[in-house]
Amino acid sequence: MIEINGLSKHYRNRKAVDDVTFTARPGRVTAFLGPNGAGKSSTLRVLLGLDAATGGRALIGGRRYRDLRYPLRTVGALLDGAGPVPERRAIDHLSWIARSNRIPRERVREVLDLVGLADAARHRVKNHSLGMRQRLGIAGALLGEPEVLVLDEPVNGLDPDGIRWVRDLLREHAALGRTVLLSSHLMKETADIADDVVIINRGRIVVRGTLAEVTAGHASLEEAFFALTGDRIGARR
Amino acid sequence: MSEVSAATRAELAKILTLPGAWIATGVILALHVLVQIPPAGLFADAVANITSDGIIEIFTGQPQPATEAILGLCAGASLQMGLFLPVLASVIAGQEFRSRQLGLTVLAMPRTVPLLVAKLLATALYVSVVAILIAGISSAFVYAAVRDWNPGLLVTGEALLGHGRFVAFAVLFCLTAFAVTLTVRDTLIGVVVTVVLITVTMTQVLAGIAPEVDALFPLSAARNLMLDPGVNDLTAGRAHGLLVLAGWAAVTAVAAGVTLGARDAR
Repeated sequence: MIEINGLSKHYRNRKAVDDVTFTARPGRVTAFLGPNGAGKSSTLRVLLGLDAATGGRALIGGRRYRDLRYPLRTVGALLDGAGPVPERRAIDHLSWIARSNRIPRERVREVLDLVGLADAARHRVKNHSLGMRQRLGIAGALLGEPEVLVLDEPVNGLDPDGIRWVRDLLREHAALGRTVLLSSHLMKETADIADDVVIINRGRIVVRGTLAEVTAGHASLEEAFFALTGDRIGARR
Repeated sequence: MSEVSAATRAELAKILTLPGAWIATGVILALHVLVQIPPAGLFADAVANITSDGIIEIFTGQPQPATEAILGLCAGASLQMGLFLPVLASVIAGQEFRSRQLGLTVLAMPRTVPLLVAKLLATALYVSVVAILIAGISSAFVYAAVRDWNPGLLVTGEALLGHGRFVAFAVLFCLTAFAVTLTVRDTLIGVVVTVVLITVTMTQVLAGIAPEVDALFPLSAARNLMLDPGVNDLTAGRAHGLLVLAGWAAVTAVAAGVTLGARDAR
């Protein structure tokens, strides 16, 4: 269970996240949607202990992320923008992450197989395509067989096959009673995965509820999103 | 404790799989060998001409007791190459700020103190191995020259102590460079800060006008720790040198810990 309560994050005079409250429950995929710069990544970074909150709190299983012992065994995370050193080999990248949390070495091979990177395991990351890097990031998130997955834009750079693979993976994860929180700005893909939806705009939550509740009265999640966020580009369409 | 141990193993794995660290290490060791080759013949001649009362003239017109002079030369050779080691430390620290890897590191090891301790331990371990290799290369060249005169010279207590002092300097100075780089979050700036610290001593400006201030700079402290006061103009004693180097490492490590904990992991 992820609980975010009254969370705020200010950068100098800019309110990136303003009094955000929502919950991601076990057994469900919670989609965290918003336009670029809406505050999605900032919220997730505070949740994961990477950025300090200006106010409020973000808990995973009732505890702050940084209070978790060997956190990758509880939470698997994919962060937009944070990546491995390009000259390092994929297998070496996952190996240091595994060692840091006492995850067995065999698990590195397992996740490389799982994400379809077994053949590229010994290639340097700089030689990977964008999609392969995204798969490597997902492999890192899955290393500790975590109860909670927090994924920031997980389908970025993936081809249709990869997008379908992520969708199936997240659905399976939730079906096992685990918690999945993913941020995205891709409405159609998200509508196929999500049980619950939280929409953020300009740092504030504009709606949260089940997919059916959020899309009620709209033709699709995309239409609901544009209506709720008042997205100017969307409104012109 | 097991958390620190796991984090240290992870940090060590990061260093050992970082091509930049291997390249910097290879360049430093190769440079050390190259620098030792040209004067080897002259040094061998000087050793061959050691007088029966144990006096050597390594530099023309400067006769010195052979044992002290040879061990001093060995320490000086290592010290000279040790000045490049902070670059290696900065490369190791700076990897966190390439591709924003720091975010992944903090995700894996979110507690600041264990993370910092692990980083410092892993860096100290790696640098100490490189420093031992440098000392070994220095010793090998000296041994090639002295083996017919005194083959046991390099395994005497004084010789081993000299190597120990060099390794202590190398580790403490590298930890300083590592912590500075972690604080400023930029490899190049970390290297520049280290170069500035070294330059202060190299110019000898402070040594002339304020030796007690000069003794507080890392390279001066290294000279005070490693070199023979009977042969060199030094600004403080060995213990002072060691304390100053440890002080730099400690203060910069605290600064790195504070910035690591207080700033967002970007």
